[in-house]
Amino acid sequence: MRYFDRLHPAAALVYFLFMILTAMLSLNPAVIVLCYLSGVIFCGILTGFKNLFKSLLYSIPLTALIALTNPIFSHRGETVLFFLNDNPVTKEAILYGVFTALMLMSVFYWCRNYSTVMTTDKFIYLFGRAIPKLSLVLSLILAFIPKLKRKYKEIDAAQKALGVYAAKSYVDKIRSKMRVLSILLTDSLENAVETADSMRARGYGLKHRTSFALYRFEISDGIFLAVTAVLGIGCIACIAAGGANFNFYPALSRLNLSAVSCALYACLALLGFMSLFVEVKENILWRLLKSKI
Amino acid sequence: MDSGKVKIIKKTAAGFVVFLLIPLTVALGVWLFKDRKYNIISAIVAFLSCVPFFIRFEKGVNGARELVVIAVMTAFSIVGRLVFAPLPGFKPVTAFTVISGVALGPEAGFLVGSLSAVVSDFFFGQGPWTPFQMFSWGILGFIAGVLLFRAKKKNLLLICLLGAAGGAAFSLMMDVWTTLSLDGGFLWQRYVANVISGLPFMGIYAASNVIFLLVLTKPFLSKLERIKTKFDIFK
Amino acid sequence: MALIEVKNLSFTYNGAQTAALKDINLSVESGDFVLLFGESGCGKTTLLRLLKKQLRPAGKQDGEALYRFKNIADLDDRTAAAEIGYVMQNPDNQTVTDKVWHELAFGLESLGEKNEVIRRKVAEICGFFGIGDWFHRRTFELSGGQKQLLALASVMVMDPSVLILDEPTAQLDPIAASEFFASLKKINDELGVTIIIAEHRLEEVFPLADKAVLMDKGKIFMCDAPRNVGKKLSNSELSHKMSLGLPAAVRLFYALGKTGDCPLTVKEGKKFISENYNGDIARIDPPEQYLGERRAAMEVSGGYFRYERELPDVLRGLDLTVYENELLCILGANGAGKTTLLAVLSGVKRLYKGKLRIWGKKLKEYGGNSLYRGNIACLPQNPQNLFVKNTVESDLYEITKIAGYGREEGKKAVEEICAKFGILHLLKSHPYDLSGGEQQKAALAKVLLIKPAILLLDEPTKGLDACSKRGLADILKKLKDEGKTIVIVTHDVEFAAEYADRCAMFFDGQIVSVDGRINFFASNSYYTTAAARMTRPLYENAVTVELAEKLCRMNGEKRHG
Repeated sequence: MRYFDRLHPAAALVYFLFMILTAMLSLNPAVIVLCYLSGVIFCGILTGFKNLFKSLLYSIPLTALIALTNPIFSHRGETVLFFLNDNPVTKEAILYGVFTALMLMSVFYWCRNYSTVMTTDKFIYLFGRAIPKLSLVLSLILAFIPKLKRKYKEIDAAQKALGVYAAKSYVDKIRSKMRVLSILLTDSLENAVETADSMRARGYGLKHRTSFALYRFEISDGIFLAVTAVLGIGCIACIAAGGANFNFYPALSRLNLSAVSCALYACLALLGFMSLFVEVKENILWRLLKSKI
Repeated sequence: MDSGKVKIIKKTAAGFVVFLLIPLTVALGVWLFKDRKYNIISAIVAFLSCVPFFIRFEKGVNGARELVVIAVMTAFSIVGRLVFAPLPGFKPVTAFTVISGVALGPEAGFLVGSLSAVVSDFFFGQGPWTPFQMFSWGILGFIAGVLLFRAKKKNLLLICLLGAAGGAAFSLMMDVWTTLSLDGGFLWQRYVANVISGLPFMGIYAASNVIFLLVLTKPFLSKLERIKTKFDIFK
Repeated sequence: MALIEVKNLSFTYNGAQTAALKDINLSVESGDFVLLFGESGCGKTTLLRLLKKQLRPAGKQDGEALYRFKNIADLDDRTAAAEIGYVMQNPDNQTVTDKVWHELAFGLESLGEKNEVIRRKVAEICGFFGIGDWFHRRTFELSGGQKQLLALASVMVMDPSVLILDEPTAQLDPIAASEFFASLKKINDELGVTIIIAEHRLEEVFPLADKAVLMDKGKIFMCDAPRNVGKKLSNSELSHKMSLGLPAAVRLFYALGKTGDCPLTVKEGKKFISENYNGDIARIDPPEQYLGERRAAMEVSGGYFRYERELPDVLRGLDLTVYENELLCILGANGAGKTTLLAVLSGVKRLYKGKLRIWGKKLKEYGGNSLYRGNIACLPQNPQNLFVKNTVESDLYEITKIAGYGREEGKKAVEEICAKFGILHLLKSHPYDLSGGEQQKAALAKVLLIKPAILLLDEPTKGLDACSKRGLADILKKLKDEGKTIVIVTHDVEFAAEYADRCAMFFDGQIVSVDGRINFFASNSYYTTAAARMTRPLYENAVTVELAEKLCRMNGEKRHG
């Protein structure tokens, strides 16, 4: 059991939103690197390091592509390295490309972490209060999808055994898929009436519907949320005070190491690596507990 | 409260979102991020644009049958996407959204489109692009509904055109998103390059939408018509 | 005091000419277990739905249906939702949400209960049904039987005083059905909840009922305690085709011309036979059809199959021979892979090891679609999977085109086959507007238009009432007379014992036993018919009621005193 699995969805949402927004918003190299590292390592913990390395392999050429194409479109910057088709290629543009790519990757990884932790259950719970009807529809959709998938396979087998498809050409493939989908639509729509009946039989449509949830907000969730809030506000205050200022153009500015900036980096590092910390702590506690048994 | 008053409140709430929150977001974004972070502002704006539709749905009266049909159509478009996944470029979501809009009306069209985006991103990964997809597909279903829901004769040519345009517009929108993410601002050259590199894909996408709609519109509309009369819904 | 009182109730659907219900009178006491049975389309569902406010069909109603002296149509919505529970036939369709916990909470959410209340009630119901360990699972992962139990639990969680069930076990296998009935008995015995159930599967539910109601063509034909209904039904004057569906003990009792209190269960039947009949002639050997050397229609040797590389084998060294012009029933538990076996036999799925020969030829030698032209056809478990068009007629024409009939020829063939199956009047209907039995006939007609020599059927008796089963058996008999080879995959033991030539037991990816139907069921101890269980160990080979009756008569009655 991972810590984030039992963390209250609201606390998790606040945490992820803050990390994703920070990752998207900042152009400060230190901030980008912090977000990137924490995001990538957390992803490793959540999905396993094997999967992480696979995805990192994919991301390297993509990063390189963005870094290398940026100078083609952007000719700003003072330090001209060389000319390509009479257009200057600058050091600043290349570096800007590299960090943009890193920024996009860190957004990607944080979004991926978010998707891993925020299962459909939690999503529906979070929005169930504000938009009860829509979240019920979401739940219905999620129940229908596997049903339709299985039905699709059944219909496909039945139609194949009728010998409806002549050859195995590309066009035939598309046609056969469309035929099966067409049958599937009739089937799912016609049978949906029973689903609706089942809802009405159990009182759907009565006034004052509530939405039940499994999640309870516990003290540890409160602590997590409070720490996130304090560190987050710290970050925002530092950014507002100019701690994150950094310019790529016209010339690279030096990395800001003022007190405010250092406070920002510290807050952000604490926040970003907090997820790792709680997961690792959970792991160690569990091992200790096991060794005692 | 009589229904007239409720209606007014609903309209005000929706109007509030559209006319106040959106410009406010843009202004706040410009002030806060000094005109650099269009991607995030635009994602928020895209999301806010969906809100009035959702509010309308939440406050409206829908029977269980209407909910179930919307859910079936959405699940169906996602399963369609999974089924056609081995064939690159063939994504029937746009086509099904258009058909839903035409058959079930603008509001249901919007819901099927935008919910398809949310739910398919459960499978393919959520991110700041989700609101974009929600809005693009949603508004496509909405437009299809506005144009053709009440029409006595559903013009197949118009439907196909919508599908093609929708497919193209969807790609163009997503390219806007990519451009904004790469530069923080909008660089025309970059955008054009993105669009050109995506052209073959966009072509297949638009063409596949037309193929889907040509083949499926008639049978699907008749199936949905049958359900509408049988269940007595989506009048 | 009657909890539910139906007085002179008649009902006609909008747009229908004839009434669906005619002059129904029924009174249900609190705590009663009432069984409705009768041929499909006799009005059971209409009556049940009229008792549930939210599901009342649109139409014209005369007379009244009362719940606690109040007209059901005028009940307050909340009361009608909570106090009268309703469980439907199809476990898949009536599951609403994606998670078990949400499904259980759904009804209470509708009633607007608070979180803590829902938590407690859901916990209680999980304890009562013993389903606590499913709580966090996705509804989709449950088996059909589990889903149906979940449907029951998610109605019971609202604490209803009446539970209405419309053929709740029609889609379940026998084991799951027994479990479901056991839960119903528990609800009735331990909670005193009133139960009104419509069922085709009478063997187990008949003894449970306080009152059995036989309906025919919209009327109540008979309404009495089960023992009395059995008595009246077998009375020649009132002889009724529904008596076919009664439990084996009841049928045997009246086939032997007995009067008085009849046995209802296997246990009672066994006692009845041993007390009343001699056991001198221990076995009966009915003339079995000649099953000697014949041409093999299909032959599998050493067949292995799995869906994906990482998944376990579904077929594991399968050996099976299907002879020409026989009716072979393959029996096996749910989830054993019977449907997969059928998919392999029909060529839809390929073995990764082993051989499959059809008429002595390898599968590869059937190029293109020649396998499905005149050779093999398959009727899937759910006949709906075959229908493409908006009317039965156009659907059947479509297949004649595909099968390469000429236009006139196709038309003639469609008419011929529909006349044979008695579905000519349904040609203009939408396939989904047909009843389950009719859908199956239409689907069978469609499949037969390909003129297959080998016909494969997947669970063809699922959800059928006794009459429709008999109808299906007649059709299969005719097809056999025409020289067709038929393979049926089923868990309907009674059907197989009655109509198969040979039966095979499928278990753990293999065929573990094959034999003529009599020997097959006579040598099985658990997986066998009610008649066989009832007559053992006194008699041998009495696997059907008919044979049991013969043996009893041959032996003669014991003289008492």
